Amino acid sequence: MSRLRATGVPWAALAAIVMLFGLIAAMQARIDADARGFAVQKEELLLSSPTAIQKLSLGYDSLLADIYWTRAVQYYGSRLGPGKHNFDLLYPLLDVATTLDPKLIVAYRFGAIFLSEQVLGANRTDLAIKLVKRGIEANPDNWRLSGDLGFLYYWRMKDYSDSAAVYLDGSKKPGAPPWMKLMAARVAAMGGSIDTSRMIWSQVYESTQDPRIRKMALKELEELKAQDDEQHLDELAADYRKRFGRFPVSIEEMRKAGFLPQVPVDAEGYPYRLGADGKSRLDPRSPIVIEAPPKPPGASN
Amino acid sequence: MSAMPGIVAINTFREAVRDRVLYNLVLFALMMIGAAILVGQISLGIERLVIINLGLSAISIFGLLMAVFIGVGLVYKEMEKRTLYTLLAKPIRRSEFLVGKYGGLLLTLVVNTAFMTLGLVAALYYVGRPFVSADAWIFVAIYFIVLEFALVTAIALFFSCFSSPMLSALFTLGIYVTGVFGTDIRDFGEFTKSPVLKVATRSLYYVIPNFHNFNVIGAVAHGEAIPVSLIWQNSLYAILYVTLVLVAASAVFSRRNMK
Repeated sequence: MSRLRATGVPWAALAAIVMLFGLIAAMQARIDADARGFAVQKEELLLSSPTAIQKLSLGYDSLLADIYWTRAVQYYGSRLGPGKHNFDLLYPLLDVATTLDPKLIVAYRFGAIFLSEQVLGANRTDLAIKLVKRGIEANPDNWRLSGDLGFLYYWRMKDYSDSAAVYLDGSKKPGAPPWMKLMAARVAAMGGSIDTSRMIWSQVYESTQDPRIRKMALKELEELKAQDDEQHLDELAADYRKRFGRFPVSIEEMRKAGFLPQVPVDAEGYPYRLGADGKSRLDPRSPIVIEAPPKPPGASN
Repeated sequence: MSAMPGIVAINTFREAVRDRVLYNLVLFALMMIGAAILVGQISLGIERLVIINLGLSAISIFGLLMAVFIGVGLVYKEMEKRTLYTLLAKPIRRSEFLVGKYGGLLLTLVVNTAFMTLGLVAALYYVGRPFVSADAWIFVAIYFIVLEFALVTAIALFFSCFSSPMLSALFTLGIYVTGVFGTDIRDFGEFTKSPVLKVATRSLYYVIPNFHNFNVIGAVAHGEAIPVSLIWQNSLYAILYVTLVLVAASAVFSRRNMK
């Protein structure tokens, strides 16, 4: 009998273990609930010095770089919901990741997008430029980073001379596509145009396989289309006023007067609206958001 | 040299397998599967990079822990169980016994590493990228990791000849960490104005095993080529250092009073 007991399944012990785990989980939930009101945990980097982290990595710095990059992606992703979020830790996380692995190109490229985005990001073009410049320093032969820096100068900073210089520099790097030189010429000649920006975002869209970055590029392209459409509608409204002495009350009225073949819709399928001032705008239900135009260099924040 | 070290090595390997040392492979496999499935969901653009970095780092960490914690008990355990006395009564020299023990643990580590390498290759295949010629450098990184194991095992065995497992593990890990910081120690001396300190840190740099020589994980993860000169230099460095430590261990062990 005692032998049977020794070799059989210890049901009593198993049941006790399961029950105790249940109690422990319930206790933890209770502690968490009480602690919520007791103290709000401050989000911070335990170690903020990239060099110190590199030393403490004991040679496993490239693995640690991947972990910090993943943390940066998670940090950014967790702040994409509605409302205003601070992105204070985004640059330090990217700084650590790229110090641990200076060849982690993905962190410079997408990190710069996260940092520079005005609505969907930290709106810190200065830090994005700093990050990409460090990337170029560590990877002098990478033309893509030059393309990214050129774009930041062009689109975010409206600094066309620096942008053209960076594009031209990038066009001389191994494997650089012909459009880099074209960009240098166009930016230098035209300044900020929606066409040029569309061309760059199309390049981003076509050059990445990552669905999230493609989605982001697509959003930018949709936004540019909306900007384009609004500009066109504003011009038509001005023409309407010239002919009838007043702005149209709606886009439908412009259509009826033969200015448009049909009421135009944005990329999400929502029809554009027209204000009393003759300026078109997006339907409030549309998920497309048009960012405020970038400030010229030297303008105060 | 007789066939005795080979016999001891085979028995040490069998003992390690009997002690379920290779169970760590299950943990490694779970880690690789988890990483291969999860990284694509939680990170951006680094699926392949993570698999290589995580795989090579795990191979290195698991192997180093095995080298230290099994290595420090190699001789001590035989003395504790008194099996050493039976062995030494046979026609085997103490140095042959040590070399055999060393070879056995190294064989265990090599077999373990070979299985983990298979796991790493399978995980890389899973993340869906065709293999390119640059991936061959991953095997060079694994070879360097094995050289690192060879060094750590020799150091652990050395301490095992005259110290308890606990102290031996501490000493071995201490030397490993010092070896990782080798260049920092040398540079520290260069920064000081004291010529004595400069000579001391430079000497220490040449005396301690420089483990940073063997770390090419980051480079191969980015598909960078490893210079052939580094391969033979690291191989020779490891052979020389392991020989030195085994000679020292034999000298200590041969003089040890077993009574």
